[in-house]
Amino acid sequence: MSILSELMVILLNGLQQGAIYVLLAVGLSIILGTLKFVNFAHGALYLIGTYAGLFIALDVTLSSGKLQEWGYADIGLGWGFLAALILVPMLVFAIGLLMERLLARSFYDRPDTDQILVTFGLAIVVQELFRVLFGSNSLPFNQPEYILSVIPVSGPMTLPIVGQFPRWRLWVIGITAVLVGLVYLLVEHTDFGLVVRAGTRDAEMVRLLGIKISRPYLVVFGIGAALAGVAGVVGGPLNVVNPTVGMDILVPAFLTVVIGGVGTIAGAVVGGLVIGLTQAALIGLPALTIGSFTLNFSPWAQVGLYAIAAIILLVRPQGILGDEEVAP
Amino acid sequence: MSLLDLSNVDAYYGESHILRDVTMSVEEGEICALLGRNGAGKTTTLRSIAGATPPEVRDGTVTFKGRDITGTPAEDVSAGGISLVPEERRIFPNLTVAENLHLAEVVRNKSNTWGRSLSFDHEGMSTEDVYAQFPRLDERRSQRAGTLSGGEQQMLAIARALKQSTDLLLLDEPYEGLAPKIIEDVEEAVRQISEDGTTILLVEQNAAAAIKLADRAYVIDQGGIVFDGTADELRADEATRERYLGV
Repeated sequence: MSILSELMVILLNGLQQGAIYVLLAVGLSIILGTLKFVNFAHGALYLIGTYAGLFIALDVTLSSGKLQEWGYADIGLGWGFLAALILVPMLVFAIGLLMERLLARSFYDRPDTDQILVTFGLAIVVQELFRVLFGSNSLPFNQPEYILSVIPVSGPMTLPIVGQFPRWRLWVIGITAVLVGLVYLLVEHTDFGLVVRAGTRDAEMVRLLGIKISRPYLVVFGIGAALAGVAGVVGGPLNVVNPTVGMDILVPAFLTVVIGGVGTIAGAVVGGLVIGLTQAALIGLPALTIGSFTLNFSPWAQVGLYAIAAIILLVRPQGILGDEEVAP
Repeated sequence: MSLLDLSNVDAYYGESHILRDVTMSVEEGEICALLGRNGAGKTTTLRSIAGATPPEVRDGTVTFKGRDITGTPAEDVSAGGISLVPEERRIFPNLTVAENLHLAEVVRNKSNTWGRSLSFDHEGMSTEDVYAQFPRLDERRSQRAGTLSGGEQQMLAIARALKQSTDLLLLDEPYEGLAPKIIEDVEEAVRQISEDGTTILLVEQNAAAAIKLADRAYVIDQGGIVFDGTADELRADEATRERYLGV
């Protein structure tokens, strides 16, 4: 493998890992930017998305957990991946709406710390509920082989320069690009988006113009939730599926938001790419040998995220594309 | 029946009692001024009418076109034909000039009313007319409002008010911090809105400038109305002017 192709592989892996973070961060960032709501339960939405995706797409047999004890070990629907990709966002969108109405709405005017406590609490409840029902074990989420039985999405495909690359990872990048593009159009080019962007700055003035802003807020919450659900579906086959994935992914998702800048979609994309590429580079770069000393980068992949976040925030406290005036 | 009636309104910011038994009315078609010192309760009065919170109206009623609108949410008051142009410009710095102006008519688009019925008699100005009147804004259509100069931002705030479809315009300190040249522009715009048939309730610290425009005036002090009369009567009443307005 040439150096160029190795670099390309790192780049594509970074894009793919970044894509998952982007999906999570776009929702998190819009909710934080518009509603000033710190949603620590965003990871729980990813968790729900992953499990729901798994159960809809494949036939699953649980080997532990209450459901298995009660005799419902075979709970997969086996409807295929496309069904999961369509149904899960709808399901998680609905869960997002419920979350906004029943929980988040009462906390919009409360301090960040209250919001963090209540959403973190919810995240733990969801996580433990899943642990009880489906067991602590990691469940196998095989990569889908075909979408609509004809379009192959698994296995390696040969790309120019890069050589062989897992086809599914490219799909993840593509699906993310399409979804983020759609949300971008919605926010930048519709009246709905205009109201949301105006509300980010001055919700009262929006209301004084006769606009009922609680409805767009509700929809924003639902869309953010749906994107987290999609992240769970497309990321499921690439990561492990167990009850702690929601919490595990929450921190990099928040890092993505603060690196990119709160409240901007472009910021979430840039932040996701920075984190994804950093991680892929540290994992993919060959060890450096100087004399008898060997420096291996991959153990530093996690630390690297925080290091790069710290450096970026030192230089630009509002994030790469963040607005100075709305810096948290 | 007047267009707007406040009867015995008591309003609070938290536990502080700001408006005490305020009774006033605004007649259809007039320019009515509400004058008083800083902290007298002028802004609180406007916010109580517009449904903005805080303050909280705990007693008394606000009646508009014969309907009791006390405690109605701000967006519904606005959709019903009352527009508050608050202190400071309150334009959206992150949106372009065109987007700022468009927001003033977003509510008129059926799909954005979300099931509420709009009830105003006076249509706001069209975008073309607004741009014709403010060529500077026309040139800067796609510029972010935050990058405009102070004077241009004020123009944008007025242009937005002109575009709002409303029967009663509540103007809070429109002259605050403006150069004399721009004050003239604002006066012109207020006159024009009035001539187009919209009733105006104008709140000002700059009493002299406000009396010039107004048909009638109220003076408020320590949360209570202390003068009620025509602009000419207020001009003639030196004692009231000196005691409460310092002019």
